[in-house]
Amino acid sequence: MPTTNDPALANIPSEPITCTTPDIHIELTPHTLSPLAATKFVSSPSAGATVLFVGTTRDYFKNLPVQSLSYTSYTPLAMSTLFSIASSMLAKHDLKKVYIAHRLGEVPIEETSIVIAVSAPHRQAAWRAGEEALEETKKRAEIWKLEKFVGGDGVWRANRDGVMGVQVGDGEEKETAV
Amino acid sequence: MVSTKPAPGHFAILYFAAASTFTAKSTESLPAPVKARDLFAALEKRYPGIKEKVLNSCAVTVNLEYIDLDGDDAAQQDLVIEAGDEVAIIPPVSSG
Repeated sequence: MPTTNDPALANIPSEPITCTTPDIHIELTPHTLSPLAATKFVSSPSAGATVLFVGTTRDYFKNLPVQSLSYTSYTPLAMSTLFSIASSMLAKHDLKKVYIAHRLGEVPIEETSIVIAVSAPHRQAAWRAGEEALEETKKRAEIWKLEKFVGGDGVWRANRDGVMGVQVGDGEEKETAV
Repeated sequence: MVSTKPAPGHFAILYFAAASTFTAKSTESLPAPVKARDLFAALEKRYPGIKEKVLNSCAVTVNLEYIDLDGDDAAQQDLVIEAGDEVAIIPPVSSG
């Protein structure tokens, strides 16, 4: 294994990892994401509604300026978790198609880190499924965000508690209540 | 990269996010067998302080399946990590 200055970011694939069936597309990629590819994938003659969510990286976290963000993942497990989320959304909301893609590695501020698209015969199911797919992904997908603050250390975020998470550098746990 | 083949008589352990920061590694080989319930103690021995600072909020997978370390599932309590297994330390996730 090549050595790297930051072992935390060692698990980034050099090429996109995808899993595609006729109605589900899952992707983890080091490349730029395409919302257009997502809506094209989910389009279907029997779908009257497509809902697209585009998540972009922000330049602050609780008033602290963020310099850069990176995502790492346990790719085989994250792929199977995302596929299972997509499958359950498909069944639960009677969707036509689901597309979930997440970017890995460094994502410059204002660029897209996640794209989710769902299609359904009618809008209500599509809205609900789009939101639920995102919430389930944030809760379960084995993907981690490292935020580096301007003039400071990096911090591993944790979606579940909304706190600062674990600070990189001295190994000290630093948690700031919401 | 993930899916590193461990040395003979060892299992592979993968560290993610805070776990990789604490150990300064993304993966290594550790001697097998180890009882799943003894894994955190073995890691604490190698990396003093890791249990309280990192592991207590982490989940564990063995060959891509989550194991229940503090539940009542007797079968999982007695699970043994064998040579060739791939174990991963899974801190709280933060996609999106």
